[in-house]
Amino acid sequence: MTLALKGIRVLDFTWIHAGPSATRILSDQGAQVIKVESNQALSVVGGPASNTARGLGQRHNWNAGKSSISLNMKTDAGKELARRLVAVSDVVAENFSGRVMPGWGMDYEGVRTIRPDIIMLSMSGFGRTGPWKDRVSYGQTLQAWSGFTDLTGFPDTKPSGPASAYSDAVGGMAGAQAVLLALIQRARTGRGQWIDLSQMEAMSALLGPLALELSANGHSVQRTGNRLHHGGGAPHGAYRCKGDDRWLAITVFTDHEWADFVGAIGSPDWASDQRFARAESRLGHADDLDRLVESWTVEQNAEEAMHLLQAAGVAAGVVQTGQDLAENDPHLRERGLFQQVPDAAGTLRTIERAPYKLSLTPGEVTRGAPEFGADQDFVLREILGVDDEELAEMAIAGAFD
Amino acid sequence: MLETGEDNSQPLSGIRVLDLSGDLGVYCGKLLADMGADVIKVEPPGGDAMRGTGPFIESATPPENSLHWRHYNTNKRSITLDITSHDGGVLLQGLAATADILVESFQPGYLSSLGLGYEHLSEANSGLVYASLTPFGQTGPYRDYRGSDLAGFAMGGYMYVTGWPDAPPNKLWGLQAYQTTSNRAFIGILIALYHRLATGQGQQVDVSMQEAVATTTEHVNTAYNYTGENAVRCGFRHGGQFVATWQCKDGYVSITTNTAKAWDDLRAWMDRDGMAGDLMDEKYNDRFILRGEHGSHIEELVEAWTLTHTRQEITDWGQANHHPWGPVTTASELLDNEQLWERGFYQEVGGEKLVYPGAPYKLSESGWQLVSQAPQVGQHNSQVYCEELGLSADELQDLIKSGVV
Repeated sequence: MTLALKGIRVLDFTWIHAGPSATRILSDQGAQVIKVESNQALSVVGGPASNTARGLGQRHNWNAGKSSISLNMKTDAGKELARRLVAVSDVVAENFSGRVMPGWGMDYEGVRTIRPDIIMLSMSGFGRTGPWKDRVSYGQTLQAWSGFTDLTGFPDTKPSGPASAYSDAVGGMAGAQAVLLALIQRARTGRGQWIDLSQMEAMSALLGPLALELSANGHSVQRTGNRLHHGGGAPHGAYRCKGDDRWLAITVFTDHEWADFVGAIGSPDWASDQRFARAESRLGHADDLDRLVESWTVEQNAEEAMHLLQAAGVAAGVVQTGQDLAENDPHLRERGLFQQVPDAAGTLRTIERAPYKLSLTPGEVTRGAPEFGADQDFVLREILGVDDEELAEMAIAGAFD
Repeated sequence: MLETGEDNSQPLSGIRVLDLSGDLGVYCGKLLADMGADVIKVEPPGGDAMRGTGPFIESATPPENSLHWRHYNTNKRSITLDITSHDGGVLLQGLAATADILVESFQPGYLSSLGLGYEHLSEANSGLVYASLTPFGQTGPYRDYRGSDLAGFAMGGYMYVTGWPDAPPNKLWGLQAYQTTSNRAFIGILIALYHRLATGQGQQVDVSMQEAVATTTEHVNTAYNYTGENAVRCGFRHGGQFVATWQCKDGYVSITTNTAKAWDDLRAWMDRDGMAGDLMDEKYNDRFILRGEHGSHIEELVEAWTLTHTRQEITDWGQANHHPWGPVTTASELLDNEQLWERGFYQEVGGEKLVYPGAPYKLSESGWQLVSQAPQVGQHNSQVYCEELGLSADELQDLIKSGVV
């Protein structure tokens, strides 16, 4: 198989979610990603709480296809090995707090003296400059600070914020984009560069036109539940269906779509109410309309109602659970979103494939996440050409502890 | 090597993109343009429907008053073209022969039915990267199903887990499902472009909104696939874990007890204020205790304490001790963020003093730039059709009269 990033080597110091999910994107396309892990910090083995089943799943999902070596960066021997790896790498990735890499002599200025055309990805909560550069964050902190938490939820309840760490997924996407852009620029100019990725900035970029709106009109802005702040339609929401916690998302914008929707649900009397005849008027009476639409959906099976509405050209989608995605969705199954890859012991592990299909260079994942330090021999002997004697000296010097 | 001329000032300088996309792909086009590509937005004669989407700026008139349009089309050029007409199709074929990338988000098969599919356009330009963004992708039983941001969130599994347990599932603010699709597509396009730099070969990129969302959920898939249990809605108690948002004196604050020290510090500060109740008892030493049977008791005590302090106080105590705590910023406070201003993230532009969000990441060799604001309808017709495609002024006039342009 042709792999677009074959020949690219990534020295990957990242941990938790955002960083590893960025480098997994590169690994899928054939980049050789070497995770640098350490016995000295067991909590940082590339996935949070990997002693739990869910943590194990996340380690596999974000680290599939990578290699792992254990280096003790507190020792000179460990740091020396890291520098030798930089010399043969194209990309160095890290998402430590701002003091760590400089402390090892491995900030961008340091690594570029080892390899002048290196691309270095530094991911952090707030960026490596500015008054907040030393602040620390988790995904939820960034969602709160960037405005997403306050904006997500219904207007009459407390804000819920996004479930899970949207900001980490966003950081991962942004990190991969930035490295790919830098690789493209390097292919054209021969020069490497430093990427200073602030996850707060990656998130703030996704609040889209809100900054323009606040600066232009100064109106106060509030969360809107499942309705759109602008350009909305009605009905537009999640409607309860038959069964336990089953819901169907239905979105109708134009009068044409409304006519299709009404026809599909059997033209009940309430749908001919003149208040619902035109899009603008439907929006004005959206609360009443929501109750009436739900009076129809509560009698329906969510999947059947989706198929019925989709057959009429109405954008409707089941509010799917994890189980739905994994087992009940025939579409995802046919497209093969989930893949089974063997871990080191040969046990099959479920991971997500990349959410884009490239016709010529689709990429591939052939194995799950590495066991901690599993590729010590391969990395040291085959990549760096370290011999037995040297290996023994490094071990004595504590490089791998 | 791609012929990109002398200008390498931005990563994508000299790369030409045809942006035929709607809601799903417009942000992808913006990312390409902001990173230096020459993105030509192909609008139907009269203008793109997106120009009718608010918010609107009160000092301008239609079709140039949509801030939604302006945000998503920075740095692009605009031409008008009726691609459904015969002459329009021929013109698009001519443009595609000069392009590196095409981005579209029509129903699967629609452009092929006009003779403008990948199989048609790659004949004259084998290097073309042709990206199609759709609700469900180009294949599979739901390929013709309609989509919307909300339906994408629902089908991708993100919506079921967002919101409060006793309330309906909730979407994220804004058009995050669309933007996630664009973000994912941008990655696919960059991979294809990198391959093209090495080989000259283009390819097709098939992006499904459902998959883009499903791979962005963090825990939904791994929870089910590895524990057999569905992740559920937890409000702002993240997954029922040690990450939570609390009401305080002037709003809400995010407190993460991600280490034993963070949990001990929190208890100690509550105790200092005489508000720790029985939390100093050693049975509460486990920082994961929020998940357990004592969860609601602890929540009551913590929130009684946070209510006596401001966001700033709690944030400062946490950050001073390296705990990832921070305020819930309200929407109206967004532009008060000193870090974003200090780093040049926000860019104030023009006499209207509009504030644009800036680079999602900083590249030291020059990356994101706001060179030009969104174009007016057909602003670059003459430049593109006459100067670049070689039509005469009369020919362009005829095309305008016949409604093709």
